[in-house]
Amino acid sequence: MSDVINTQRAKKQALGPYGRVGKSLDELDDRLGLARGGRTFMDKIFPDHWSFMLGEIALYSFVIIMVTGVFLTFYFIPSSALVTYHGSYLPLDGQKVTQAFSSTVNISFAVRGGLLMRQMHHWSCDIFVGAIVVHMARVFFTGAFRKPRELNWTIGLTLLILAIGNGFFGYSLPDDLVSGTGIRIAYSIMESIPFVGTYMAFFIFGGNFPGTSTIPRFFILHVLILPLVILGLLGAHLFLLVRQKHTQFPGRGRTEKNVVGSPMFPVFMAKTTGFLFIVSGITALLGAFAQVNPIWQFGPYDAARISYAVQPDWYMGFLDGALRIFPSWSFMAFGHTIPLEVTIPAVIFPGIIFNIAYLWPMLERKFTKDNEIHHLLDRPSDRPKRTAAGVTVLVMLSMLHIASSTDVIANFFHLSLNAVLWGMRILTVILPIVAYPLTYKLCKELQGVRGAGKRKTPNIVSRTAEGAYVATPTPAYGEDVGHELEATPVPAYIESEPEEPLESGVRTVDR
Amino acid sequence: MTSPLIKRCLAVSIISLMGLGPVVLFVGVAQASYKATPYQTSRKNAGTPNSTMVKKNSDGVIIAYGNSSITYRAPSAALVTLGDALFQQNCASCHGTQANGVPANGTAGAFPDLVGLGPATINFWVDSGRMPAANPRSIEAIRRVPRLTHHQALAVSAWVNSLSPSYPDIPYPHLKNANVADGAALFALNCASCHTIEGDGDALAMSTFSPSLRKIPSIEVAEAIRTGPANMPRFTGNLSDAQVNDIVKYVTTEIQHPNNPGGFGLGGLGPVAEGFVGLAFGVGILALAGFWVGERDD
Repeated sequence: MSDVINTQRAKKQALGPYGRVGKSLDELDDRLGLARGGRTFMDKIFPDHWSFMLGEIALYSFVIIMVTGVFLTFYFIPSSALVTYHGSYLPLDGQKVTQAFSSTVNISFAVRGGLLMRQMHHWSCDIFVGAIVVHMARVFFTGAFRKPRELNWTIGLTLLILAIGNGFFGYSLPDDLVSGTGIRIAYSIMESIPFVGTYMAFFIFGGNFPGTSTIPRFFILHVLILPLVILGLLGAHLFLLVRQKHTQFPGRGRTEKNVVGSPMFPVFMAKTTGFLFIVSGITALLGAFAQVNPIWQFGPYDAARISYAVQPDWYMGFLDGALRIFPSWSFMAFGHTIPLEVTIPAVIFPGIIFNIAYLWPMLERKFTKDNEIHHLLDRPSDRPKRTAAGVTVLVMLSMLHIASSTDVIANFFHLSLNAVLWGMRILTVILPIVAYPLTYKLCKELQGVRGAGKRKTPNIVSRTAEGAYVATPTPAYGEDVGHELEATPVPAYIESEPEEPLESGVRTVDR
Repeated sequence: MTSPLIKRCLAVSIISLMGLGPVVLFVGVAQASYKATPYQTSRKNAGTPNSTMVKKNSDGVIIAYGNSSITYRAPSAALVTLGDALFQQNCASCHGTQANGVPANGTAGAFPDLVGLGPATINFWVDSGRMPAANPRSIEAIRRVPRLTHHQALAVSAWVNSLSPSYPDIPYPHLKNANVADGAALFALNCASCHTIEGDGDALAMSTFSPSLRKIPSIEVAEAIRTGPANMPRFTGNLSDAQVNDIVKYVTTEIQHPNNPGGFGLGGLGPVAEGFVGLAFGVGILALAGFWVGERDD
């Protein structure tokens, strides 16, 4: 053979344009046929608008929660068994504490990097729920939940509830004085549900409060069951996102029939990986420099002990605030206590809020009679009623959230606690009522402002021969002209035809 | 045609009015609920706690008692003359020249009778700077830099005590004999429900508040526990001297100089500050980062 390949260059050429990696991928594709799906995935178009990154904060926080959480499970002991603490934190030396508490203190003081992991886990949870809420607000106010994306709205809302629930379970696990108070409140809220409350509380907490089964049960819910459900729903959330493609803001070259943006590979991949590092970096900074939940200061939970100035984590704040400011309506009837002071603010009120949120896409379809498929987003000011309704609910929840720190406000501003309580009661009722017409009016005003939300363009001022000055607005910035990425058509997957069977039960499918 | 500017101004003023309204209402409610009822220590003569050692002077008057945990000492009788002079200068305008209180224009119980309260009570109020009061009509006297020195405060308590000798005397805790872990448990059980578990203090009902314990000297902590100033309950029978000593040790060591890793404490405000930082700093900075990474076109 005359053409023996032995030079470096010839060897390289034989491997093809993508080298060794390309060749092995090629071999893989010959057997598994991944290229076709991979191509679609790599070409998935992501709109470039910054507000589409908000959901990714939540996604990457969840990744950080998983990683730090796995680390914590190596050292945490989910048991209510009492042990005598003999660790490095002196004020607890010789105290009888549960294993859950003792192991959490040990994670903080004795495990290398344990406190950093604990604090990162806690901070990323705060950020996780916060990012979900902000992402949800973006989806709501721009109308991204409309047909065909109602299902994804439902999944997202369920994810929010699960995140709040799992945050509460995790917060309760160290069995410290503050979280024990939280479990006590959760138990009472559950008991306040009419007819089934007591049975439910006994079923979930495994008996009367405090009991010894709460911590093990919360642990398995916190580290296995809820994360699995969240992971599954997250997968469904992202699958639907790819299947239905992104929404986009209206703009040059963007229509209901296309998606304009950067492809998954290489542009968005680089962007989003960088963003993952930003999210984990900020979380690590918080975990390293900002103390969160110093349980060693709180000490172990004991039903006889109580600390003043106890608030839940921020995402439970609206419930705590509602409980704080609701009037104490409680009475005896039919041989039972009817605790309306708990049932209304902590069961009925959140029930109404979340049900309205679940039903919102349907309600909006019903009222606007708009059954069209929408891929272009609304400017919030163009839908004043929806925006006003959203702002109203957000204002109400924010006021309730602020009401969960009545004592801190009173102490900080040297006010009477009673005055703050009454002030919050009044504000929680009045501000949402004020917020609706105000937002509605503001939206209407914004609609009238010419060029609102558009980039301002320069005026060219010139002097005429007669000495008059004329300002001519230029159409746009130079860089904006022709700034159009290739549009990908939306596939007609909705009208896929069913195949005709040859004979009953037999079908032929192309390879 | 109305100019859009006028329309906008109108909108802005309506917004600010609507925003201001509730604030005005809130302040109004806060003012209306503010009723001046002066503070006082109403309980008299806390009695002598269990003592293993009692020291009497030549006249048979008890000048010190206590045990290995706390020694209670009466201020020296030699200070009485100085105390009288200081009392007439600094305290008599409200409490009267005989320290028996004066009814102040119709407010029952204002400017309380100090006779028989015991030296620890008088010393606590003067040493903590609460007396002479910044504002005699405020709901709670505020801790500030004391006007009288410790020596002068002792003199005042010596004189008031000389009018009708009573107890408790001024407690001097022996922190070397205290157990800080027991103190932590007792603190959680007895003190945290008002002073919070981290000892930062917080607002209580009707403009009263529990003060922060971050900078209180050990004698004053013991005095407060034994005498129950203002709203604070007086702990006598349910806490032994050893237990009070444990609590004082916990407060003056672990509350005031905590072994507290994990970064900035965020003002000890707990989840309120944590939520604020998590949302404003965490989510806020990350949203800004997204803003930076993403596009901002129309």
